[in-house]
Amino acid sequence: MNLPHIPDDQLRRFVAACARRARAFRDWYQLPRKRELRGRDLLREWLSPEQLAQYDSHNYFEVTGCHTGKRYRIHHGFGTNVYELDDGGVPRVGWCFVPDDHLVAGDVMLAQKIALETDERGAMAVANNFTRR
Amino acid sequence: MATQIVMDHNGDTRHNFDARDAKAVLKAERRFRALTGAGFTAAIRTANREPLVTRTFDPTAEETLFFPRLVGG
Repeated sequence: MNLPHIPDDQLRRFVAACARRARAFRDWYQLPRKRELRGRDLLREWLSPEQLAQYDSHNYFEVTGCHTGKRYRIHHGFGTNVYELDDGGVPRVGWCFVPDDHLVAGDVMLAQKIALETDERGAMAVANNFTRR
Repeated sequence: MATQIVMDHNGDTRHNFDARDAKAVLKAERRFRALTGAGFTAAIRTANREPLVTRTFDPTAEETLFFPRLVGG
């Protein structure tokens, strides 16, 4: 079989262009995961040691509302992920409040944590409740 | 080096500045005002590592986190 003759510099350019496109595709493909990891890393930096241990073992962590002292459980997620706990630590009512932007789960959870720990009434003023799933 | 962390579509964007550099501090203060003016909440961490919402720019804060206004979902 006769292969067509391709000049070296033309071949090099072609290979370089293919490599660029392959890198661009890989970056595009991995972007959502990188974003998720950044959000998760930031959340982990801001959790207390107890919350971090809880999150690592259960995929949720608990916070105490700064005004009422009520306990809330924040599950990993983007919304409908906050539950108010009763005195026995059982989830009773769900509360949904989220940042007004499309953020990754870690960021959403961190914003919810800070809101409940520093301005519980403000968070509850905008939150909608939902029945436990 | 102080850091302003802004939550966004990419997870977050970090702006580092030298608190001893007057120009950099001014720029960071402008960013703080622009973000809080746009509805972002600014939070720092206390010595006990507990979050504290702040409404004034603190150039000595090691880390200031900004997240968008909260709304009912």
